[in-house]
Amino acid sequence: MLESGHAAPQFVLPDLDGREIEIHPGSGGCLYLLVFFETDCPTCRLTFPYLNSLAGLVEAGSCRIIGVSQDSLSSTREFVDQMQVRFPVLHDGEWKVTRAYDPLAVPTIFLIGEDGNVAKTQIAFDKNDLNEIAGLLLKGTPNQSVTLAGEFDGNPASKPGCTSRHLETTADGDSPAALNLYARTGARSSKIELGDDVDPIEYCLDAGFDPLPVVPPTIERVERMLGAVSLPPDQVIAHVPPNYGEATVEKIAAAAVMAGCKPEMMKPLITLTRAVCDERFNIHGVQATTHFAAPLVIVNGPIRKELGFASGSNVLSNVARANSTLGRALQLLLLNIGGARPGEMDMSTLGNPGKFSYCIAENEEESPWEPFHVEQGFRPDQSTVTLFAAEPPRGVSEHNARKGRTILRAICQNLTTIFGYRLCMGFEAFVVICPEHVRTLQRDGFDKDSIRRFLFDNTGIPLRAFDDDDGEGVQYLKAYEKITIDGEPCYRKFAHPSQIRIIVAGGTAGKFSAVIGSWATGPRGSQVVTYPIE
Amino acid sequence: MPTVLINPLNEAINLKVAPAARLSHLAGTKIGLLDISKPGGSVFLDRIEHLLKERFGVKDVIRVTKPTFTKPAPTDVIDLLSKAGCHGVIEALAD
Repeated sequence: MLESGHAAPQFVLPDLDGREIEIHPGSGGCLYLLVFFETDCPTCRLTFPYLNSLAGLVEAGSCRIIGVSQDSLSSTREFVDQMQVRFPVLHDGEWKVTRAYDPLAVPTIFLIGEDGNVAKTQIAFDKNDLNEIAGLLLKGTPNQSVTLAGEFDGNPASKPGCTSRHLETTADGDSPAALNLYARTGARSSKIELGDDVDPIEYCLDAGFDPLPVVPPTIERVERMLGAVSLPPDQVIAHVPPNYGEATVEKIAAAAVMAGCKPEMMKPLITLTRAVCDERFNIHGVQATTHFAAPLVIVNGPIRKELGFASGSNVLSNVARANSTLGRALQLLLLNIGGARPGEMDMSTLGNPGKFSYCIAENEEESPWEPFHVEQGFRPDQSTVTLFAAEPPRGVSEHNARKGRTILRAICQNLTTIFGYRLCMGFEAFVVICPEHVRTLQRDGFDKDSIRRFLFDNTGIPLRAFDDDDGEGVQYLKAYEKITIDGEPCYRKFAHPSQIRIIVAGGTAGKFSAVIGSWATGPRGSQVVTYPIE
Repeated sequence: MPTVLINPLNEAINLKVAPAARLSHLAGTKIGLLDISKPGGSVFLDRIEHLLKERFGVKDVIRVTKPTFTKPAPTDVIDLLSKAGCHGVIEALAD
């Protein structure tokens, strides 16, 4: 692969209209940014919107951004259309230029200086590298202070790429056409005409849209829902695992109708559909596991008040139309579009009542601390949805404590039980602290960080619990960390304080907090994702 | 006026793929064992490998492990099995 300092070869390639384009790096006092890509590479798809933004920021004449496609003309045209690419794309179907530059993976970006030598290369996706490249291209322009790839824009900080086509041993240069997971436009839904003697609610139950009665998704109702967003009905928002069904705007609207949503719920529901299909969340695994996991939705920011999300008394149950319907609409999409039908693809041993609806909001008004989304880097005036692959909630009743530490010790005892008592290190928890407990903790000087640290340091499983070496946990002991809690030797429950997340919710009467455990977490399981509602 | 509903189900057509032909015998074959990386999986697969060779005359056994049991096998893992020329693959759970 060409590295920094190497001379960048000149070349001629056709554009997508067949015109031969000559590229002479080092000529005309112009920088070149060559981007080698494949049309079916998820990392290329992740990178191109940033390059589109960059193309709109650079000064014409000072820099040329050129895409070099390694795939067929037809799939390249489709890619350019889907990604709305804003810079010229050339077709390297025979990998002639690819072999000359020899990228190891795609996307690979070559920044070529005015001297015709490679100044910088970037393989795969990395926000820091993209920002560095943007800094070099925008230096001295009015846009030089722009951050191209923000830290909390919903995308990961980095992501590995795919092997460059010329290094694949079996590729024929064409993308597999079997399942186009990147189609931007889907099919319109078919229509179902019911006879006069058919009760629409009974029809929906018999058709298996949900085991609970739904609002029948009539054309009129779905159109009202579609009227709340300025998106075409056939636009594909995401492909929903495990069956990778097409969640078009119309299908999302039908789910919203069935769940009983108001039309204004379409906006957060569309964001939620994108978030749940974020590969970090791994809804494929969350849906197919035998574990209890169900996606827990946590809403933060002004949208709570605007759409009527409840965050106080009964927050975990049937308290408000907004909570109940948004959580249910998500479940209906997972069932009817994702195909996670209980007993078929969803093989949970016992299930989770949260699969009817599991949507809460943080009680930011009763919290003296930063709301969860602000901890994640969002502004207080932004609204967000967060997803967590969650067990059912466990109650922490502590009415006798006068000290904050005593409340936290009660939470620690509860935290030991998440996933399984003797299972440590690989699991996370949301701790939902009720307002009365919050007041005691605040009086004693605690904030979210010091609470997290206390819970991390004081949650452990006594070594004596492992006296019987038959049973859960013994298979992982090598990875466990020994600590001492109140003089008792223990294994630490969590691997890192960041595995404990804290929100404030619930009514102002009653000293009941809750602990919500996770499924398998981290890159090998499900990672928490937070998306801004825009 | 009849009631007309918008079909809320996924209507995208999935390609139908015929399952591979069943093996008529195991003797002399090369069999892949895909470990999904759950604890205890290797213990189970050790036993399967032993039985395949001793009882059924399997000639070679290729062992490949998924990075995590929570996600589908990535292409490079599947490639390892297909490029090894396996006649059949056994994907095994464990817990």
